[in-house]
Order: sequence, then structure tokens, then C-alpha cells
Amino acid sequence: MRGYRYLLNKIAWACLTVLFVIVLNFFLFRILPGDPARAGIRDPRMTVQAQEAIRVRFGLDKPVINCFESLNPLRLGKCGVNPLDTQFFIYIRNLFRGELGFSYHTNRPVVDMIGERLWNTILLTGPAQILSIVLGMGLGLLAAWKAHTAIDYASLIGSLVAWSVPTFWLGILLLFWGSSKLGLPIGGKMTAGATYASTAEQWLDVLRHMLLPTITFTIVYMGEYMLYMRSAVLEVLAEDYTLTAKAKGLKTSRILRVHALPNALLPMVTIIALNLGFIVSGAIFIETVFSWPGLGLAVYEALNRRDYPMLQGLFLLLALSVVLANLVAELLYSVLDPRIKTG
Amino acid sequence: MSTQKWSVSLLMVLVLVVAACGGTTPQAPAAAATQPAATAQPTAAVTEPAVLRIGWGGSPDTLNPGTAVLAEAYTLFELVYDAMYQLQLDGSTYTLELADSVNVSEDGLVWTFHIRPGIKFHDGVPLTAKDIAFSYNYYQAHQDFPYLSVYTVYFESVEAPDDSTVVIKLTQAIPNMESQLIFLYVLPEHIWSQYTDATAAVEFENEAMIGSGPFKMVEYRQNEFVHLAANKDHYLTPPKVDELVFQTFENQDALVQAIRTGQVDMITEMPMTAVPGLRTAENVKLVTGAPLSPSIRDVIFNQLEPENCPPDAACTGHPALRDRNVRLALAHATDKQKIIDVALLGLGTPGRTLVANGLGMWYNSSLQDYAFDIAEANRILDQAGYADTDGDGVRQMPDGSAPLLFRLYWPSDIEAAPRTAEMLAETWGQVGVKVQPQAFDPDALTAVCCPNFDFDVIIWGWGSDPDPAFLLGTLTTEQIPTGSSETGYSNPEFDALFVEQGTTLDKTKRQEIIWEMQRIVFDDVVYIIPYYEDAAQAYRTDRFTGWIIDQPKLELSDPSSLTVVEPVK
Repeated sequence: MRGYRYLLNKIAWACLTVLFVIVLNFFLFRILPGDPARAGIRDPRMTVQAQEAIRVRFGLDKPVINCFESLNPLRLGKCGVNPLDTQFFIYIRNLFRGELGFSYHTNRPVVDMIGERLWNTILLTGPAQILSIVLGMGLGLLAAWKAHTAIDYASLIGSLVAWSVPTFWLGILLLFWGSSKLGLPIGGKMTAGATYASTAEQWLDVLRHMLLPTITFTIVYMGEYMLYMRSAVLEVLAEDYTLTAKAKGLKTSRILRVHALPNALLPMVTIIALNLGFIVSGAIFIETVFSWPGLGLAVYEALNRRDYPMLQGLFLLLALSVVLANLVAELLYSVLDPRIKTG
Repeated sequence: MSTQKWSVSLLMVLVLVVAACGGTTPQAPAAAATQPAATAQPTAAVTEPAVLRIGWGGSPDTLNPGTAVLAEAYTLFELVYDAMYQLQLDGSTYTLELADSVNVSEDGLVWTFHIRPGIKFHDGVPLTAKDIAFSYNYYQAHQDFPYLSVYTVYFESVEAPDDSTVVIKLTQAIPNMESQLIFLYVLPEHIWSQYTDATAAVEFENEAMIGSGPFKMVEYRQNEFVHLAANKDHYLTPPKVDELVFQTFENQDALVQAIRTGQVDMITEMPMTAVPGLRTAENVKLVTGAPLSPSIRDVIFNQLEPENCPPDAACTGHPALRDRNVRLALAHATDKQKIIDVALLGLGTPGRTLVANGLGMWYNSSLQDYAFDIAEANRILDQAGYADTDGDGVRQMPDGSAPLLFRLYWPSDIEAAPRTAEMLAETWGQVGVKVQPQAFDPDALTAVCCPNFDFDVIIWGWGSDPDPAFLLGTLTTEQIPTGSSETGYSNPEFDALFVEQGTTLDKTKRQEIIWEMQRIVFDDVVYIIPYYEDAAQAYRTDRFTGWIIDQPKLELSDPSSLTVVEPVK
């Protein structure tokens, strides 16, 4: 019964968070200065009539919400307007219909544009996350086991460097090295305009394109996992029950496997789950350096062009995935450690 | 306890499975890494199609000519569509494309084009005068097409009395008819007639992109690549290569590396800092020159007179900038050559007015630039009564009401702007003018700029049409409330000449007027134009030959080059 209430409680909070994000999303971008009908375009051919027509097309001629014509510059308006005829309610109504609107920049449905890029991002960050988790945790375990030896210090310093190195810098170095020494492709998800004899050949091509960005991603995230894992295992090894196990004459490998690893995994679950929530957001720097057509790049482009519908869609997706990952982490944690649930 | 143990072991199994999966991943790409050698060989073989790969930093915003804004989209339109005229690389000559002849009525109001026979769209349907009339009427009917609808404002009617004749009736005789028609790409009526209502016209993605130009669309992936194939049956310029691939590189260093390693055969742009390195790179030829579409950098002075302040605008400009003496002194205190050398690494020429040197006959080459002369600048300001009364190094207004302290803004997307601002601050400082520099998001800058006039000085710029009318129009009084005027400049003499050039059909006479307009704004020091920036492009000498690089304008992705280049034997 208690567990049931805990579950409901957590889900309710997650839903509230998403609702908050939906509302915030709308106002956040409209507080920024600028006019999406112009989007920083300097061209004398763009007439006032054309700008006005574009505003009407995207519904920007309607008041933002009752009492407010626009938020930046702040212009008050009539409060008595029909709420259904304001930008805010049209946004909410469309959202509940599953419509994210049309991109101001490309005039294409936002859902299509996000869909194209979602899988690209997961393709890049998914394997890279798994690799960095496995390698990072393995290295952390090794470092903790061999604490205060050369192996420990080497991996500790290596991880610290990897974690703190600027991602774009590491990426561009690997790009220069990989393209000139190994002949690896410089950018994109696949060879542009190529025709493939078989699906296998196509996947091989994609793998070649994935290699450098995946290595970059893995190096950067591996450092983080290694550091967390090392300290978690060291903490466990300092516990009394580890001493007891040693006193019982158990082998080190068995102590690590049966006592240290399971207990050290608990904090790792949180970190992994939180990071998984960000898989969808991609890696803006890595995607930019390697011209990887993912969501991280889409966020950057949409911000540059004041593409509100695209930004709203992207932020909603990001918020959903982070909230979901958090929820999973909390639920998983309560299963792994019953003390959490009972408080 | 047992549940905990169970879940922990489950987790461990998961980790192990994941580890097993992860373990294989590095092997697969390692095997793939040997691939390039294997794929590189067949490309070199003679039987393979000649694929020309082009690297660029952007991607079209849309393939729909009506709604497109970005230059990358227009590059594709030039290749895939045909228009009535084609602009030559000298910057001001137009040649007929779809028509083989044209008759203009005595009064200049009726233009009758005779369309070449036998032109076909890429899907095999013949292109007739009906398609041309349809396209022009289509552009005119959609006012929310940001750029193309504006070229049809003088059209009273466009009709196709038969399949080979297009008759355009104008509301007034205009001197620049050719430049109105170069961007009005001819669309197939049998496809676009389904998208005539306002919403359908802008939402049509046009991914098949059926045109009649020298190249046809094969595959388009937004922000990844554009794959075109040669239209070997083109009636004028059948390409010699078989395919074109435009690949997007979001990172400029990666773009440069792509041509160094030969992964692309040509790049359309590069950061200025890459130029020296590519000059000496093996098998790479670097070319610089005036760009086909000139981009003008300008230092904008807010000289709006209070009585011209648009409704609801802030109009907070510094009063000193309304005095020509101050603007003239600042022009003398601007070291254009140093700005070009430092900010552009030498890749530019000092500017005069908004009409750039790339505009051929329209550019007034007779204007003598203001010499960089700090002493002269100081003399002008002394004489005009701007003295440094309190000895803080900054001059005051003649009536002592305010110091010559100017807000200097620039948009964050102009690479050379911060260094330009630094150099302006330094040399202007030597004549007792202080600036408060600040970078803005381009959109935020639009909000303070025009028509709000909430600034003193802005470093910004324009893209230019081949005809000078649009840019000269931004200096007229009527553009102050619309946001196109960024200076607030108002001169009835200039306004009258602007109207006159728009109705003067004689090319030489019109040139005289346009030169006079440039002289007026240059004498009034409405702007400082620090430079006209050069384009820098590069191609692989070991892959394709025949690039057009000896013309006044440089654009390797123009049909003029891409239809004539051929593989190196």
C-alpha cells in the first residue's frame, strides 16, 4: 500500500513538472527580444507587407495572452479578448491535439523535423553512453581495487583530464587526426549522395561516420563515470562489512563481486539514469564539430533563428525525457534500496 | 534481503549484456576503417559517374522558391530552375535564358518574350509560355513570399497568348526589368497549380523539385546533403559532370579539412584564417574575388531628426551625429586599410557607399575616399566647437550639454565585427570620441535599430541585389518608419533622384543619376563603409578542371562554372 502511494506521488510530480515546462516553454521564448517574422534577416527586398503577411500566417498578429499584446517589447492589450483567440491557448490546444506547429524557418511540420533527427541522435549518443558507462565503471572499479597504486593514479588523472577537456577541442583534434591518418569521413551521418548495394554496406558506412564522434563522446563521459565509480567503491571498501569479509578470509575478487560492486552500483544508477535523460538532447558540441544531424544541432539552429515552434517542440521533448529518466531512477532506486521508500 | 539480491544480480546481468554488446562495437568500426581504400578505387575508375562534391557551411531552409530566404536555397534554384534572364559574372550584364528574343513596346510598358522551342521539365513535360505566365502570376499572388513577390510589383498582367509567347504588361516603364526576372524561377504549372491557396503555397515542401535547369534533384536531406544529377538534355548548358553533391559542414574547420583531405572537390566558403594555409595546401587552388551577391558592411550613424521619429519609436540617438562635421571627422579617423588587414586578413577593398564595387557599371568609381588623417579629424571637430572642456580626453557638445560618448553596437554573427569595433574605438578615441561597445544577438539588434532608433552607431550590413535600387531605397525618407532605413537619413534631393532613377529607361542616364545619388550620400557621410569583403573559395586541382575564375565576380557554385567543369583526365 505504501509503495503504491509512493509510486503515484512520484508520477504526479512528474506530470506537474511537464505541465510547468509546457507553460514556461511558451513564455520563455516570447520574453526574448526580436521578431520571428524577420529573424535577423537584413534584406531590403523584405517589404513591410511581406513581414505582416508572415506574421498573420504564423498567428503572430494575435495577442500573446489576454491583457498582453506582446511580451517584448511589453505591450498591454485588451483583457476581454476571447482566450481561444490568443497565441497561448492556440498553442495549448494544438499541443493536446499532438500538433507542434510549423517551423518558421523551413515551413515544415515540427514533428517531422524532430522525428528525422531523434533517431540520428539516439544512434550517436546511445552506443556512446553504453560504451562510456561500461568502460568508465570498469576503470573505476579497477582504480578503487588498486587504490593508491600507479594504475589508480594514471586512470584518475586520465579521467580528470578527459572529463575537463573542452569537448569541441577534443572533437576537432580527433577529426583532424582521423581524417588525415585513417581516412575517416569528416562529417555527416553517411556518405552524401551515396548509393548502396546492400543494407550491410549502408550500415558499414554509417558506422565509419559514427566512429570519431562516438570516441569523442565516450572519452568525455567515461571520465565522469570512472570518478563516480571509484569513489563509490572506495567508500564501500572502507565499510565494516568489507573488513569482516576480509577477516573471514574471502578472496579479493569475491569481496569486490559480492559486496563492493552491488553496493557501489546504487549511486551509479542515479547518475546513469540522469545521463540517459540527456541522450535525447544529444551533444551540441560533438554534433556541431562532426556535422551530425541530431537534436543538439537542431536546438542550436532553432535558437539562432527564433524558430519558436521548433524550440517549443524540442524543449518539450528534452523535458519529457529528463523527467522520465528521473522518474525511472527514483522508482528503480526504491526497488534497489527499500530504505528510500519507507523513508 | 532476497529481493535486493535478486535485483542486484539482474542489474549485473544487464551490465554484462551491455558490456558484451559494447565490446563488439569497437571491432565493427575498426573493420570499417579499412573501407575508404576499398571505396576510393572504383571512384577513380573511368566507368564511374563523375561526381563533383561541394562542401558548404549551410543548408537550404526550404526547396520552395516562394518561401526561401537563405543563399544556399538560391544556389540550388539557379541550378535546378531556369529564369527568363541570367546575370553574367561581370555583375551587370543580363542574357536571355528561356526566351530567344524580346520585343519592348515604344513606351516601355509591354514586354513580349519569344520562348525557345523544345524546352522540357525534368519529368518530361514540355515547358511552355503558359508555365512562365503561371509562375509570375503565382509569385505575384502570394504577398507573404518574403523576397520573390517584390519583383512583381510593377506587373500589371502576365499572359501567354500561345505556347511560345509571354506578354508582360507593366504599370509603369522601369529601367531594371531584367533584374526583376532573374530570380523569378519558372515552375511547372502541372505541379504547382495544386498549391495555389495561401497555406498550401507556403507549406509545399517541393522535395521532388521538378524544374528545367541544367541539374535535377535526386535526393535532399535537410542539413545533411543535396544530391543533384546532370540534365544532359538541357537546351543551353548541358553539364559535363554527371552528379553534384552539396554536403553541409556545421563546423568551418571541418569544412577546410574536407578539402585538404580531398573528401570534397570544392568549398564555397571558409573562415578568413584558413586562407593562408589553403594557399599552400597540396592539390588545392584558392581563389578570392568580389562575390556574386555582394555583402556590404556598414557603420551606421543614427542621424534621425526628431521630427522624423516614427510613432512608438525610442529615437535616442546622440545629437552630435546629426552634425555632418562629426560624421566627417569620424570618417577621417577611420583607418579602413588597417581594419581590412586585421579583421579580414587583407581580403577586402575599402568601401565608399552601399553600392558595392561588385555591381559593375552602377558602382561610382570616381569617389575619392576620405583620407585616414587624425589631425584633420581633430581640426574639423575643433572648428565645429566640440572642445574637451573638462580635460578628460572626451570632447563635449558645443553647448556643453553632453560628452561625445557613443553607444557602438554590432550583431554577434559578424565574425569581423568585434575587431572592427576595437579599431574604431582606438582611432576615434584619438580624436576625443569615446564609445561604449556592446555585441547584440542579431534579433535583439533589429529591435533597438530600426525603426526604433535606440542607438548611436551600429556595425552591420546588407546583402545586395544585382540592381542598386533596393539598397539605395533604404536611404529614402519614406523608409524611416518601415525599418529599412537604419540611419534615419532624410534628404529631399536624394528622394527625388531615387524616384527619377526608377523611371529613367536610358541605361547611361540612369547610371549618371545613380552615381550622383552615391556622391550625395558619400558627401553627407551617411555611413562609413569600412570595406567590401572578398569571397574566398577553393577547389581541388587534381579532380575537376575548367572552373571560371577570371571574371570580375567569383562564384564557383554558379551554373557558369558547374556546367562547364569536367573531370581531370
